[in-house]
Amino acid sequence: MTSATSQPPTDGARAPDGPRRTRAEALRAAVAGGAALGAAALAGAWTRPAATIGRPTPTQDARILNFLLVVEETQAGFYEAALRSGALRGDLLEFARVVAPQERDHVALLRRRLGRRAAAPPRLDFGDAITDAPRFRAAAIDLEEQAAAAYIGQGASLTAAAMQDAARIVAVEARHAAWIRDLAGEDPAPRPADPASPAADVLSHLRQKGFLR
Amino acid sequence: MSGPTDLTFADIDRDEALLEAVAALHGETRAAFLRKAAIGGGALLAALAMPPSAGAAARLTDTAVLQFGLRFERLQATFYTEADRLGTVGRMPAAKQQWARTLGAHERAHVRIIKQILGDKAGPRPFFDFHGSTESDGSFTRTAVAMEDLTVALLTGVTPHMQDRRLSAALFGLLTTEARHAAWARHLVGTTPAARSFDDPRPVADVQSIVDATHFIRASPRLRRRRSRPRFTG
Repeated sequence: MTSATSQPPTDGARAPDGPRRTRAEALRAAVAGGAALGAAALAGAWTRPAATIGRPTPTQDARILNFLLVVEETQAGFYEAALRSGALRGDLLEFARVVAPQERDHVALLRRRLGRRAAAPPRLDFGDAITDAPRFRAAAIDLEEQAAAAYIGQGASLTAAAMQDAARIVAVEARHAAWIRDLAGEDPAPRPADPASPAADVLSHLRQKGFLR
Repeated sequence: MSGPTDLTFADIDRDEALLEAVAALHGETRAAFLRKAAIGGGALLAALAMPPSAGAAARLTDTAVLQFGLRFERLQATFYTEADRLGTVGRMPAAKQQWARTLGAHERAHVRIIKQILGDKAGPRPFFDFHGSTESDGSFTRTAVAMEDLTVALLTGVTPHMQDRRLSAALFGLLTTEARHAAWARHLVGTTPAARSFDDPRPVADVQSIVDATHFIRASPRLRRRRSRPRFTG
């Protein structure tokens, strides 16, 4: 979709013992030249030949919206299962309580737009990501980043009305991403422009994590 | 959620002057209200409390949208840069300093990006006067929170309507960054980062009138306006 598609989205779900970029480091990077990277990605997206973006059609809309529906169903299912588990406390509980119904609203809007073309809900499995607070936090960051990158990658290939829906939704996904990153002590806005992720990458990532069966 | 934003004035406008202004809104037109609203950051907050203007968005050329976007990004970049230069940012708690400096770096990057896309259509940099909003933590933060939410509404509106789809693709990545800024800012001031399930778009003309109401952008530098009372003589 864009030149940024070759670059996977930041994996917020790094191993807990892995290197974690502190906010101060992230800030220095942003000021010292990380900003230029985002600029290049964005300008690159613009200078790419238009042919890389499929001409929007209702058929293509259905394909893209069904992909985004899988992403939204995964998120909604994740937060709802975590709330049911009763394991969340404090800030994380408040986060899940606000975000779960918002993801369900996204599912409902996509299903309404798709009508009879909507695919059946996927089978999900979150293991201990819904019962263990640090794993929940890592999985939430991962899911929100995947969702934002998925919309960034697909949004411009939609017809006008569907693209408006995508913009209204992705802004909220990005808000969720920043919020949960802030709760995890990670930089809420690590780049001046966010990268896109191809649909195939997002789906294989969700399968590899075991969330999507 | 009631209304277009949950960000109540009581949350961020401690002196409640705006609350009174909004209470007096009934029966007034938007234009009349915006004319009366306090200039500066107050106008931003007041405007955000009002629903987006109804009616179909005007069809603008991509260049016109980007030129407006550039003015708005320049305004934001200058706002953060000035607050840093004045020492306002440096006097904030560490977490807020990181927030303010990251946003400044990002907005300056956005200016460079849009200038690069516009090329010789970028136009000259306007002059800014923030009417004191960059000088204290409180006014700086209130203005920043409102400005970031307004940017999200602007980009939510323009992104799907670009004539060149490549620009829509690029703007999606800016929209999410601005939404992160807004959520981060809201979290810092203790209000919910994601108030609603969907972010609503605001037409360019709407944002234009809000920016006009702040009087942040000036046609000429402040000095020139004071020609009758020159600072330097002889």
